[in-house]
Amino acid sequence: MTVRVLVVDDSGFFRRRVVAILDADPGIEVVGQAANGREAVVEALKLKPDVITMDIEMPVMDGITAVRHIMARRPVPVLMFSSLTHEGAQATLDALDAGAADFLPKRFEDIAGDREEALRVLRRRVRTLGLRHARGGAVGTPVSARTPRGPVPSRAATAPGTAPATAPAHGVRMPRAPAFRLQDFRIVLIGTSTGGPVALQKVLTALPVNFPLPLLLVQHMPASFTPAFAQRLDGLCAIRVKEAADGDGLEPGLALLAPGGRQTVLESRAGKIRVHIVDGDPDQHYRPCVDVSFQSVAPVFGRQVLAIIMTGMGADGRDGVRLLKDKGAQVWTQDEASCVVFGMPAAVAEAGLSDRVLPVDEIGTLLARGVGHA
Amino acid sequence: MILDTDDEILQDFLVEAGELLEGLNEQLVELEQNPDDRELLNAVFRGFHTVKGGAGFLNLHNLVTVCHRAEDVFNLLRQGQRQVDGVLMDAVLQVLDVVTRMFDEIRAGQEPAPADPALLTVLEGLARPDAGGGGGAAQDAPVAGSAVQATPAAVEDAAAPSVAAPAPTQLPGGDAGQGPEAGGEEITDAEFEALLDAIEAERAEPPTQPKAAELIELTPAGGPAVAPQRPIASAPEAGHGNSTAKAASAARPAALMETSVRVDTKRLDDIMNLVGELVLVRNRLATLRSSMNDEEAGKAIGNLDAVTSDLQAAVMKTRMQPIKKVFGRFPRLVRDLARSIGKEVALELRGEETDLDKNLVEALADPLVHLVRNAVDHGIETPEERERVGKIRAGRVVLAAEQEGDHILLTISDDGKGMDPDVLRRKAVEKGLMDQDAAARMTDQNVLNLIFMAGFSTKTEISDVSGRGVGMDVVKTKISQLNGTVDIDSVKGQGSTLRIKVPLTLAIMPTLMVVLGGQRFALPLANVSEIFDLDLSETHHLDDQEVVMVRNQTLPLYHLSQWLMGSEAVSAERGTQHVVVVLVSGRRVGFVVDRLIGQEEVVIKPLGAYLHGLPGFAGATITGDGGIALILDVPSLLRAYARRH
Repeated sequence: MTVRVLVVDDSGFFRRRVVAILDADPGIEVVGQAANGREAVVEALKLKPDVITMDIEMPVMDGITAVRHIMARRPVPVLMFSSLTHEGAQATLDALDAGAADFLPKRFEDIAGDREEALRVLRRRVRTLGLRHARGGAVGTPVSARTPRGPVPSRAATAPGTAPATAPAHGVRMPRAPAFRLQDFRIVLIGTSTGGPVALQKVLTALPVNFPLPLLLVQHMPASFTPAFAQRLDGLCAIRVKEAADGDGLEPGLALLAPGGRQTVLESRAGKIRVHIVDGDPDQHYRPCVDVSFQSVAPVFGRQVLAIIMTGMGADGRDGVRLLKDKGAQVWTQDEASCVVFGMPAAVAEAGLSDRVLPVDEIGTLLARGVGHA
Repeated sequence: MILDTDDEILQDFLVEAGELLEGLNEQLVELEQNPDDRELLNAVFRGFHTVKGGAGFLNLHNLVTVCHRAEDVFNLLRQGQRQVDGVLMDAVLQVLDVVTRMFDEIRAGQEPAPADPALLTVLEGLARPDAGGGGGAAQDAPVAGSAVQATPAAVEDAAAPSVAAPAPTQLPGGDAGQGPEAGGEEITDAEFEALLDAIEAERAEPPTQPKAAELIELTPAGGPAVAPQRPIASAPEAGHGNSTAKAASAARPAALMETSVRVDTKRLDDIMNLVGELVLVRNRLATLRSSMNDEEAGKAIGNLDAVTSDLQAAVMKTRMQPIKKVFGRFPRLVRDLARSIGKEVALELRGEETDLDKNLVEALADPLVHLVRNAVDHGIETPEERERVGKIRAGRVVLAAEQEGDHILLTISDDGKGMDPDVLRRKAVEKGLMDQDAAARMTDQNVLNLIFMAGFSTKTEISDVSGRGVGMDVVKTKISQLNGTVDIDSVKGQGSTLRIKVPLTLAIMPTLMVVLGGQRFALPLANVSEIFDLDLSETHHLDDQEVVMVRNQTLPLYHLSQWLMGSEAVSAERGTQHVVVVLVSGRRVGFVVDRLIGQEEVVIKPLGAYLHGLPGFAGATITGDGGIALILDVPSLLRAYARRH
């Protein structure tokens, strides 16, 4: 099936480029264009696209306001085109808050050094978001049960919240969830990508100020975005959140966010556990990379690790989780229904590495409940 | 890197970014007048942002860098964290010049060279919030290049922010309630919501019978059958009784949005040419009709006539562009010029929406630039001079456009010092253009028109502003080439007004068909002022020139067949002849012609290479009877022949 896309940008030049890039993919059909936010909302309602690509800065109505309107009326995955600036980060995070599913840098060079690769990434993102939506998957913040098109495939039919540990239907070996006690752990690791900013916000805002463990967050994000994201989470959460800096120590109730563009690892030297920010392997696709960070934690904390993999495209985190799992760590993954993209959690779950599969809201509440029992 | 200028994507970028750049030019000058206009600041921000986006797509790094810096500055401005001041404006206008330069380089297929690092540094300084109003910025940001000298205007600009400062602090609060979409178009949030409700209702599952019934039941009394879906959808908007009606009307602009296409002007030219051919066929048929006695065919030809005229008008409309395209550059031009020569000038634009043929818009650009520069440079006095004669310090230049029938009238007027006819007379004599007596005999109006003569410049020192040597005569020639006319009115001490009249289009021209020695010629109707019959025995000779007295004015008389048909025997036939009076450069001359045919719209066809450049001819056309007529170019005709006598 083809993914139907609405392209929104006030620049005709940019619209035509995006349309040409997307139309070159047989799996994608551009069904409409809009030159400002207001047109975008109108066209979204009229055309019922599977995905919308959205510019932020537009006359009449900006992209963020448009996302808000669209999410309120007819939720659909929105892919924002962002500037990789501090302002761009704020605006993008606002857009994600408003319900946008994902973002890509507006300068394709920032997506990937190679132009062709950048275009492939763009097409893949649009396809993934669109197919998921067309199948009735979750969209952005207002997780809607509405299914606009056709009968719902059974595996996506489970409404969030009805069963905390929904068994995936496609032959994944579902282990019995081991007992969960916070005091068994010395750190919580969370790895996430597409849809992660909102998911992280949901989980972290659920945690009380006296949360007893340090957290390390690895979210795929450009370097210019992570400071703004950390700052925003810090403002929203009871616990403290900061962008990790080289030499940082771990503290209870402090979440360190791996900075973009580099790798964040834990090291234990002379009894002191410190965060190190390193350039890492230049071949490594993701910066920060969930695998790199998680693998570095294994020798430091062994089995006393709770590793959580949430929404995201691809399979980053699976290898890191495997190493942790070998040491006896516990692994949670987000369920398909509440994921914007069920890629990374699926990779972990399908490898049989997940101890619990949870909707995003449950992850937060379960962690918070652990505090009470501690 | 060599850029591929044939690349469609690059061209697409240049077109869009070029338009944005034009817009920025206007917006920035406007901003100087309204430094706190949020919408304007937003628009400028988006302009730089979009150019940057496109440049980024094409990997034009140097262009990205400079746009990015400007974008940062305007981001602060639109958030109210900095005020617009003279230094900032100078820097941002420099950015515009740099971007324009880069565009030229891109068009030429070159990778644009980087912007002056000093300018980037200034912008970086300006992209920091200023705590203490405009003053701080002026100190820590030296103006790069310092092309603009400190002039009275500049000093005033720098002082302005401190006066304007209190206003913007109130702005954010005032705007906050309305949201970002409030400024753009006249539709409230509630109306927008109602519009969306209406769309959702319409797009809901195709209303099946039972559903429609339900809807009707739910609707309160009052015409349920008319709009069964909407009332429910807009129920939450109870406060806005007519919101659905408004929503329906608001739906229209949204539906209109993708109705325009970009068309290569080459295609429009082709269409215009074909319509021209059609007009010729129509003319031919119209001529045949009079010799036919077939009523049916006559009717059909009549219809064809009407449809052709409509088609011609419709096609002409597709080629129309608002004169704004030319006017848009003037605010900046006047601002920069006034600042550089220490004058204060307020420019007023009127009738910017007046449409005219695209080719004309382009062709008028240079003459208008020259005239506006002239008005500022020569017309408007310095502020001190103005105060001395009791005028307000700031001079005023009005640039106006309006349509008058099938013509466009452009006026450039200033309230400056005007022109002194006696000074012009003296100049004319000094330059040997005429003797004392001839000068004294001329009316003031005719004297003013002397400025359009080649080599006549009243300004003793040549300023680098209004051009060197190329003066009003060039303007005149240009306008004449467009089948237009230009004339001047000036009152000493009160100012001058220049009036340019040009036809709406260049491709089709109303003419007067005349016959000279059996051959047809078309005289542009724009030049023709009157026609009369004359007994040639009533002519006199004055300074070796045949003239005739018309209403107590001497009118030079020329025998066109002598010029064009090479006939020598002019004086042979003395008797009543037709005289066509043409108006050229404010001069009236009479052309003696053999026969008058009448008015005819002709399609101008260029003369082939063989005849190209022949003086006196603007082109050729096919006449209604299938023959060929040469179209006369009256000014060039007079230049080529009239002096020989």
